[in-house]
Amino acid sequence: MLLSRVTKPARYTNGEWNAVHRDTASARARFALVYPDVYEVGMSHLGLQILYHTLNSTPDFVAERAFAPWPDMESELRSRGLPLTSLESRTPLRQFDAIGITLPYELTYANVLNVLDLAGIPIRASDRGPDDPLVIGGGPGAANPEPMADFFDAILIGEGEDAIVEMAEAVAEAERTDVLRRLAEIAGVYVPSFYEVSYEGVGPLARVTPRDGAPPVIGRRIVEDLDAAPFPTRQIVPFLDTVHARATLEIMRGCARGCRFCQAGTAYRPRRERSVAALLRQADELIANTGYDEISLLAFTSVDYGAIQELAARLVERFGERGIGVALPSLRADAFSVALANTIQKVRKTGLTFAPEAGTARLRRAIGKQMEEDDLFAAAEAAFSSGWTRLKLYFMIGLPTETDDDVAAIGDLVRRLVQFGRGVLGPRRNRLQIAVSAATFVPKPHTPFQWVGQHARDELERKHRILQTALRGRHIKLSWTDPGTSALEAAVSRGDRRVGAAIEAAWREGARFDSWGEYFDFGRWEAAFSQKGLSIGDYANSPLDYGAHLAWEHVSCGPDKSVLKAEAERAIEGGGL
Amino acid sequence: MAQFICRYQKGERVRWISHLDLKRTLERAMRRAGLPLELTKGHNPRPKLSFGPPLPLGATGDAELLALHLAEPLEPEGLKQLLNRQLPSGLEVLEAWRVPVHQKRETFGQVDVAEYKIMVSNGLNEEELGNRVSGLMESETLPVRRGGGRPEREVDLRPLIISLAVSRTGPHEIELQARLRTGSHGGARPQEVVDLLDLNDDGRVVRYHRTGLYASAGPPTQRRGGVWRRWTRARRSRGKDSES
Repeated sequence: MLLSRVTKPARYTNGEWNAVHRDTASARARFALVYPDVYEVGMSHLGLQILYHTLNSTPDFVAERAFAPWPDMESELRSRGLPLTSLESRTPLRQFDAIGITLPYELTYANVLNVLDLAGIPIRASDRGPDDPLVIGGGPGAANPEPMADFFDAILIGEGEDAIVEMAEAVAEAERTDVLRRLAEIAGVYVPSFYEVSYEGVGPLARVTPRDGAPPVIGRRIVEDLDAAPFPTRQIVPFLDTVHARATLEIMRGCARGCRFCQAGTAYRPRRERSVAALLRQADELIANTGYDEISLLAFTSVDYGAIQELAARLVERFGERGIGVALPSLRADAFSVALANTIQKVRKTGLTFAPEAGTARLRRAIGKQMEEDDLFAAAEAAFSSGWTRLKLYFMIGLPTETDDDVAAIGDLVRRLVQFGRGVLGPRRNRLQIAVSAATFVPKPHTPFQWVGQHARDELERKHRILQTALRGRHIKLSWTDPGTSALEAAVSRGDRRVGAAIEAAWREGARFDSWGEYFDFGRWEAAFSQKGLSIGDYANSPLDYGAHLAWEHVSCGPDKSVLKAEAERAIEGGGL
Repeated sequence: MAQFICRYQKGERVRWISHLDLKRTLERAMRRAGLPLELTKGHNPRPKLSFGPPLPLGATGDAELLALHLAEPLEPEGLKQLLNRQLPSGLEVLEAWRVPVHQKRETFGQVDVAEYKIMVSNGLNEEELGNRVSGLMESETLPVRRGGGRPEREVDLRPLIISLAVSRTGPHEIELQARLRTGSHGGARPQEVVDLLDLNDDGRVVRYHRTGLYASAGPPTQRRGGVWRRWTRARRSRGKDSES
């Protein structure tokens, strides 16, 4: 038996509460929805559940799920010649009409190819025939679809609730020869094979132009009214302990804060809220349907929700006595947020997380991060005096205009927080811990910083050493992102279609699960890029010219290039707002 | 305040769910069922639940036990039905009964014997398996290694095997009935017995099904369903609703 030979066999057995089992034979279009990471990660992704239930709530369309099998399962499948199947009906993926694959982050792209290959589907769209399913992409990675463009028949730019039904309709109605044309007529849908690419230099300098009347610019889809948008309250309850084992209530989408490095900040504009009334109704249904003991109020910054106090109070009033907690997954660094978390959270989590991003007020201003140091200290005071003893702080290294002094200032800030924390904690001061996590700045398409090069490895390592020296001492724990991982993220994030060939080469050499440290091999990726005559540095590290035509300019993801450029100039030359 | 015990089945559909995941699954089902669960006091209130000895991953069973505390009493039959409506397929409460609330933390601490049906379908004949079983039962000691990784210990399995019986159940299947010690004072795992019998278990030829959980300290019973009933009777006879 195959399942006795793999870790966590429950990843593959399905039958979870609220999983939908429908007759697939009578459906007009059958979709397999794939999240290209392991089950526990994929099942924590709200987007997948939204699309799954949206399709399954129609009479005509059926959606089932599949995830990237863990390497032990992959080798079992390959050695027995078994194809990858959906969870629900165990139908081989290649028998579906369409495969919908989320592109959550760059480090999953090798898994996308692996899933297609395990399903027996040719990985390149141009190699697929009329009997193969359509392969449709979407999700955050679609903001720059180019690195994955050759592997997809169509990619949806933006939010999927409405568009997926329109796409399913096209898949159901159109003849296979005509379906791409039909899909391309749907707003937000990009059909890569209808475009030609001409390269204008080294790095992502490319022009993607339409053939045969396809739209020159593909605008992203957004849902206008969140209250009217479908929201699944019959969320699937995994048997396995997933990354987020709780009911998810999406209270708000988008963010109005305008951090200049943040792609989600531009791609999900404008900020839209659900009404308190709708949320209370959904919370009741969620708890009744799932049996979870915690509801998480999902948003980029949940405390930015206009009526957060009212919502939180009414949820606690409704569920508190039943032992059901309310969680704020994303806090703002100020006293208000901490006080709110303190009143509503059932479980006293040991730590709170804040993201100052930079060590000095000047640099925070330059990157558009609205956070005053006083607020951070007020948040820390509120946290320490209400029982928390651990803080986690997120910073970024390699930000535009960053100097060595800015990096060293992180150490200064953290040491002052330690001093302060010891004072507030008094007799409990020995429990104080401040964990500093230093991510690497990654330039992202459609942000004001898309033109900025990421630091090369040497420079990053030099700054990590500055950080290390500045952050010695009791109570402090420092970690940082592996520079190789960051470089790959940047190169793929700013990649063009040529980068797709490098992704394929890396996958052929065994790249899988690159977001998992134990499987990531930077050497393999470097070799794959150079095998295709490319270099990671040209995509990741080179600054790009404002005047150059970038590989993703046929995708419109919010602000115009001129707006982004003005923002970038204000940040870099003006040093702030 | 009332305490109930449920005997439930862990079937084919959920046999790859670990014990920890199963506990969470049952707890969520109870919440969906709207049971008036009694919560523990303190910072992080949890429902008061206890579970019988875990099944090995991949095994099925219909003698599985759980105990729950409710703030208000319910008819056992009603409890069973409420819960069954909320259980994923493969899990089913077979019966429920009320027991007196007692102070002991370990509700199932007295359960110390487990009975398994081990189905062998690797073409081995009945006689050969019978010989191997006799050999095993005649051994003075049966040392096995445990712990996989770091401090690896040696355990003598012989005193933990109470009985083994072989019977043919189909043209290609023979069945081994194993009565094994279980619980906190030491137990034998069915897989270990299968390994000792050299049955080449890759999960395809051998299947495990637990048929009974027993408390050897309880009074004997002739009822089908296993010694867990003895234990049940023992509990019940101390309560008001004694029936024996």
